Amino acid sequence: MTSGGYRIHLTVNGLDHDAVVRPNQTLADFIRHDIGLTGTHVACEHGVCGACTLIVDGEPVRSCLMLAVQAVEAEVTTIEGVSTEKALHPLQEAFRETHAFQCGFCAPGFVMSGIVFLKENPTPTRGQIRHALSSTLCRCGDYLGIVEGLERAAARMSDQRS
Amino acid sequence: MMAIKTTPLGQSIPRREDVRLLTGRGRFVDDIQLPNMLHAAFLRSPLAHARVLSLGTQAARAMAGVHAVYTAQDLKDLIKPIHFDPHIEGHRVPSYTALSGDKVRFVGDPLAVVVADDRSLAEDALSAIEVEWEPLQAVMTVDEAVASDAPLIFEDLDDNVIYHALHEYGDLDGAFSRADRVIPISIKQARVTSSAMETRGIVVDVNPASEEMTCYASSKAPHMLRGRIAEHLGLDHHQIRVIVKDVGGAFGGKGAVWREDLVVAAASKLLGRPVKWIEDRVENLTAFGGARDQGVEIDAAVQSDGTILALRMRMWLNHGAYPGMWLTPMFAALVRATVLSQLRVDTFAFETLIAATNKNTYISYRGPGSAETLVRERVLDVIAAELDVDPVDIRRKNLLTVEEQPWEMPMGVTVHRAHARETLERAVELADYTALRANQVSARADGRLVGIGIATSIQPCPGFPDWWEAIGYKTEPAPARLRLEPDGTITLVTSEMPTGQGHETTLAQVAAAELGIPFGHVRVVLGDTQTTPFYYFGTGASRSSNMGAKAVISAARELRRRLAELGAARLGLEPYEAELPFAEIARSIYADGDATSLEAADVLVYYKPSPTEGGWAASTHLCVVEIDRRFGTIEIQRYIVAEDCGQMINPAVVEGQIRGGITQGIGVTLLEHAAYDEDGQHLAGSYLTYVLPKAQDIPEIEIEHMDIPTDDDFSARGVGESGMLMAPAVLANAIEDALRPFGARVTELPLTPDRVLQLMGELPSESSGLT
Amino acid sequence: MKLSRFAYHAPTTLGELAEILVEKAGDAAVLAGGQSLIPMLAMRIGQIGHLVDLNRVDELRDLAQSNGTLTIRAGVSQRTVLTSPMVRAACPLLSEALPHVGLRETRSRGTVVGSLVHADPAAQLPAVVVALDGELVVRHGSNERITAVADFFVAPFITTKAPGEVVTELRLPVSHPHMGWAFEELERGPFPLVSVAAGIELDEDGLVKDARLAFSGIGPTPIRARTAESSLHGGQAGAVEILEAVELALADLDPPSDVLASASYRRRVAAELARTALVQAQARAGGCA
Repeated sequence: MTSGGYRIHLTVNGLDHDAVVRPNQTLADFIRHDIGLTGTHVACEHGVCGACTLIVDGEPVRSCLMLAVQAVEAEVTTIEGVSTEKALHPLQEAFRETHAFQCGFCAPGFVMSGIVFLKENPTPTRGQIRHALSSTLCRCGDYLGIVEGLERAAARMSDQRS
Repeated sequence: MMAIKTTPLGQSIPRREDVRLLTGRGRFVDDIQLPNMLHAAFLRSPLAHARVLSLGTQAARAMAGVHAVYTAQDLKDLIKPIHFDPHIEGHRVPSYTALSGDKVRFVGDPLAVVVADDRSLAEDALSAIEVEWEPLQAVMTVDEAVASDAPLIFEDLDDNVIYHALHEYGDLDGAFSRADRVIPISIKQARVTSSAMETRGIVVDVNPASEEMTCYASSKAPHMLRGRIAEHLGLDHHQIRVIVKDVGGAFGGKGAVWREDLVVAAASKLLGRPVKWIEDRVENLTAFGGARDQGVEIDAAVQSDGTILALRMRMWLNHGAYPGMWLTPMFAALVRATVLSQLRVDTFAFETLIAATNKNTYISYRGPGSAETLVRERVLDVIAAELDVDPVDIRRKNLLTVEEQPWEMPMGVTVHRAHARETLERAVELADYTALRANQVSARADGRLVGIGIATSIQPCPGFPDWWEAIGYKTEPAPARLRLEPDGTITLVTSEMPTGQGHETTLAQVAAAELGIPFGHVRVVLGDTQTTPFYYFGTGASRSSNMGAKAVISAARELRRRLAELGAARLGLEPYEAELPFAEIARSIYADGDATSLEAADVLVYYKPSPTEGGWAASTHLCVVEIDRRFGTIEIQRYIVAEDCGQMINPAVVEGQIRGGITQGIGVTLLEHAAYDEDGQHLAGSYLTYVLPKAQDIPEIEIEHMDIPTDDDFSARGVGESGMLMAPAVLANAIEDALRPFGARVTELPLTPDRVLQLMGELPSESSGLT
Repeated sequence: MKLSRFAYHAPTTLGELAEILVEKAGDAAVLAGGQSLIPMLAMRIGQIGHLVDLNRVDELRDLAQSNGTLTIRAGVSQRTVLTSPMVRAACPLLSEALPHVGLRETRSRGTVVGSLVHADPAAQLPAVVVALDGELVVRHGSNERITAVADFFVAPFITTKAPGEVVTELRLPVSHPHMGWAFEELERGPFPLVSVAAGIELDEDGLVKDARLAFSGIGPTPIRARTAESSLHGGQAGAVEILEAVELALADLDPPSDVLASASYRRRVAAELARTALVQAQARAGGCA
């Protein structure tokens, strides 16, 4: 039982972290302010908008709906961990080509949930893409650009595999 | 303009800003972490209208981690009261303070601020603040506000009327008496809010030793923020620096300075430490502000062939309580000055009634004057229906031709080179309108509720200077600064402040094209009042692609001219060299330290359009909808845009803006309602109740660009607001058309499934009691 | 919307979990998936001094079927249940409903039991388990009680779970192989407005032997339309019978009116969805139909 510091160990984008967290800290705030990776954005804090989505142990998770103390021994991937120094992830590249985003605040959420979606649905139909993308909100609102980006990435990644 | 082999102008170059935004390396206000930073939270009124009998902050101050609790009383000598100058005669502007003192006037009204080690502790302390209230009757609608027994919201006004005026043009009585028919039309819209994905927020960092104040803001008008903080806190402008990096959407509302900004600045000054305030989503949906919440009643004097002789309009607008920076009479003036736009109508009356209520502040939200398109296009469709004329034909009857322009609207606004008719005909052609109507006949025979909607609009993006005068503003000149760097690359400093529009890319395209250099050689700098030239209004009104770009072109032409001269003098180049060797010229200038040459390499220009510069963009939207008879839900089966915004700097950016505007328009028309109940409680304070459009709500959108030649040598006009202007009008028309078998009239937005079934007579027409 | 401070407990056995809850009764909440609890804490609806995390209790991760009962323990995520072939065979209604519950991103952590305990009147799973005649195992200290889900839901966000108690398990009867199930819902925004769960079992003569009809979103709790169900027994569940059953189901309803929809709209949606679901369930009912 603890109300002050609680020690956790986790990996974030392949790097180990030992940290002391307060139980009332969300994973989102921990990642943003304690680890200093501010690419994961907080936009609603009630799990609807998806801007805070990251990947925990392979699963897409709303980091505003998870506490840091729940990430003990977790493998977390954030938006910063998706591209390498040399290259963007094909999904990021595709989104750039289709001008999917404008202000960019929601983009990390779409990239993270998009990556998991593509893993689970390597040859999606446009309808499936629209449905999957409906879990994340974009107020600048060029959803067609986002759909096209995902389609393009799916096609490319599928070509790469074959 | 000099053309080079491959000009970046007109190309859908991928945006520079996307590399950082897609990889999570943007810098938004909440990403700012400063040493010793504290966190603010605001105590907000849970009541719509009440006197504050007492406010006890002792207990809150004593809580762990709390550094300060300030009330209006604490800040009364630090922050000047807020009072906007009415710039329109008859406009009444109440005064108020940054934190409310003895009275609260809407749910969310801020009365105190807690500054603590973290936001969680600050919020804990909020619940320890003791308030004694005397609840007052809440006033929620304009009708309630102007009733003779209405409670007075602001004691320094005589009543709740903010503005009431009648503007009349031409011989109305004559026109109405000549008319074959007088057709009444009415249309109203509920209150909505902009809900950018990034909420408001600010970090203010005062260095007590140097007395410098640095503000990291989510703003589209950094110079305005600087000026207003200086004015209200009694500081010198040069003490204040506003830095804006990335902004997660603004859509109008972040072009104002907020009470919370002033309070956070005061707190940082008092504490001598950085203070951060990030608005949470509940605050953003309830306390930030509302838009639309207006209605117009129209009487149209028409001839049986569909010619409109005159229009009488009466508009009401629900001002909410506290005035914000963009004063509501201006929004009404926007409607008055553009509702006629491309119609051949010069006999017109417009009555405006704006009243204060116990709702949040009225904000500018993308296309704040969009009622003008909604009203006009509804009027045209209702007239068409009443006279049994096809809606396309009614427009053909009443829209100005290019030959009739320039045309002066009765309020002194010039319409010129506005290609409304051309976009109409193109949309009709693309849609194969005749086939659509034929399909509709067979669909109706099968009992399916298919509707076709059309709407046309011209947008003053930027319009001509007389349009701005007509709404009570002077066009502010737009600056641009170009500096030749020692290696021949170019730094472009703009005072445009993008919040998603892609200026770091588009303005670089414009500069590179004009200078005749590769796109990659131009870098755009913006967002810092220390670096950027003064520009009060900031980015907005869909002007940047015209005025912002023209400022860049102006500066680029001047720089080219100077460099051509220097190149001729120093390097013996031909004076009219098509491709100047920028690197060589730069090396030459920077090597020998000649003052005149160095001065020449840095150009600052303010661009102000002449009375005939600017122009109107035009578009027609056409859509096909089908109503699900079981649930009243709307499927948008086809959506076509034919638009003329002149030459496009970056077509992908243009299309993104149009589509994004349409998405917001769909939200306003079908989904969103920032609802208040009769007691003034705000009922849509989360995304569970304030419903934003998602991917599945948006149809496939076909966009045809027309770029009809004008004699401008740079003809780009803005499109940022057009989707938002058009989608509600075209959808309202399509849905009414789908409901034709029931003889229903669309008079109210949003057209929720509930309302659609009511219009079909499937559900009882009942008022929800919500406004 | 930052959570207030609380003490955090992460017990590793069910016994420990139950003990802490008894000790801190009235001032503690159980953290399972957190997908409903954390937003409530963020909005400071209900303050707690103690958060008790059940995710380290391995025995609560069990998903199993035996003796005609499907057992879903409190720590089992919605995603685990959704992707389970065993559940698809044993309880097709649950499998059909789960893709509509929340989002891909919330189902990875959100639990089935947690959704029931949260008791949002518009949530889908309460209607599903009510249609299925599920049971819940509720633990208090070292004591357990079993409650029918029909008795569990009391009011919006209120159940019979008392302070100090924890729901450890959901038990669902394995579906008869020839029973046809259907789930229909209408969303408004991100979440459901009205949901309907329906089931029809036919006998050798093709007549209705068992009918289930449950709603959420049209009352303070999920509603099982037993009168409507009885009206279908012994009939063919054809169009007319279904229409009449649906009318009976709606007769006693008093749906709420709020900013999302009026009472009459909810009633209308419930009727449409119920008709569709019953027709679908009938079509799926196997045997000699």
